Parts: sequence; structure tokens; C-alpha cells
Amino acid sequence: MLTAPPARQSCSPQGHAPREMFMDNSQDRLELDSRLTELSRVQLWIDAVADRHGVSADARFPMQLCMEEALANVVLHGYHEEPGHSIVLWSTAAEGTLFFAIDDQAPPFDPLDPGAQNAPVGPASLDSIQPGGNGLRLLRRFAGSLAYERLSNGNRLTIGFSIPTLK
Amino acid sequence: MTISTESMDGDITRVLLDGRLDIQGAAAIDMRMNVLAGSGKFLLIDLRNVTFLGSMGLRSIVIPAQAVRRRGGKVALFGPVPMVEAVLNASNIAEIIPVFHDVDSAVAALC
Repeated sequence: MLTAPPARQSCSPQGHAPREMFMDNSQDRLELDSRLTELSRVQLWIDAVADRHGVSADARFPMQLCMEEALANVVLHGYHEEPGHSIVLWSTAAEGTLFFAIDDQAPPFDPLDPGAQNAPVGPASLDSIQPGGNGLRLLRRFAGSLAYERLSNGNRLTIGFSIPTLK
Repeated sequence: MTISTESMDGDITRVLLDGRLDIQGAAAIDMRMNVLAGSGKFLLIDLRNVTFLGSMGLRSIVIPAQAVRRRGGKVALFGPVPMVEAVLNASNIAEIIPVFHDVDSAVAALC
């Protein structure tokens, strides 16, 4: 029997995840190993979630993008590409918003912390730009809401997307 | 993710990308992109059939573009769909590597 993630205090003023509404439903949960190759499963899972909620193709793009950026961050920086660690994804819908939560057991990392910024925005040249410095920026730009919680043994990032047609 | 090339007038190599430029897609094209960056002087990267672009996909564009620039060449991006262009804008890449929606303008920028 699967268990829903327990309620925890939100640490972010930028968004609130309806933790109590995560469903005990295997369709709304996906467990991954800490490998980048696992991300192809995430794409299929998000599509399945989006199908169930009637989300349009255009509205799926930011979901796919934010989840890829957030999960890549966990695998690359949280686990330093070391396989064998669990990452659990949850989804739930509430009040016109589709939420995705990512639970990991990596060292504390709040992507909403101003100190966690990517390369500074501003005038840059092709020679000076940092090729890998865009993941958090894209996550913040394309997420409808972001909420970070420090768990007793890891991190939870909840990403919300407003879907006006969502029941 | 697939990658193919066409030679155009003016020593331009048109690089046609097709598929999702996500982590897996980026891994699939990185080697070929690096080879092209080491041999082509003017690259027109055709994004019309790219349906997804993430930060790792951006790396697959930016790193070869930097290599081409160091060799005295130029890179232009052509035809991104709106959401892919939104990623280019949000990451400021569009300010550094020009984006065009008609091929003649892209070619003119390279020559």
C-alpha cells in the first residue's frame, strides 16, 4: 500500500502545495532512481497525468521543462550523479492547479533561495555566457508556483501549474 | 532526437534538429554538434522541428556556438516554435545568438 507524503511546514512564500490532497493512488506517484536516464520515464508519467486531467499540449511544455530542470538538479547536484538513491514524484490537482512534488533525500537545497541563483542575468556575450547556468532560471520562469520544504531526511519541491480548465 | 546537415551557399552548414532537445536529446546530438562546430564556419541551426528545449539542450547549442565564434565563424538559430523560443528568451540566449523566422534573414546574418 502506498502512502501519501505526510504534511510538513512550507518554507516558501511563493506557493503552497496542498499536501493533504496528494492522493494515495499509484497513478499519481512515480519512484525514480537517481540517474539522468530515468528522466525519460518522467516525461511519459507527466503525459499520463496530463492526459487524465485533460491538459493541452501547450500547457504540458512548462511541466516537462520544470520537472526536467528540477530533477536534473537533484541528480547532478544533490546526488552528484551517484545512482541508487530514491526520488519520489507526486501529482495532484486542486482548485485549477496541477501540482507536482519531488521528494529526495539529498543534502538540503532550496532552489528558491536567492543564493541559489544561476549565472547573473544581464549583458553577456557568447564568449562569456555559462552554458550550464540556466536550469534554475528556467524553473523559476516557467513554474506557476514553487514551494520548498525541508524534510526530516531530505527535500520536497512542489511545482504548481495553473490549468483553468482543470476541475 | 535526430540531427542532419545540408550545405548551403556561402559556406553555410544548415543543421536540422528534429525531436526533443531534453537531456537525452542533448546527449544524442552533442558529439555531432561538436564535430560540426570544429569544421563549419557558419552554422544555421534549424529548430523548426524541435518540440522541447531544456537547459541541457541549450548547452548543446551554446557550447558549439562558442567554438564556432572562437574560430571566427557565426551561428544563427532559425524557426523555433513559440515555447522553444520562450526558453531561448528566458535564458537570454536569444540576445547572444540571433534568432530568425525567415531563412533569408538568417542567411544574411551569417554572411
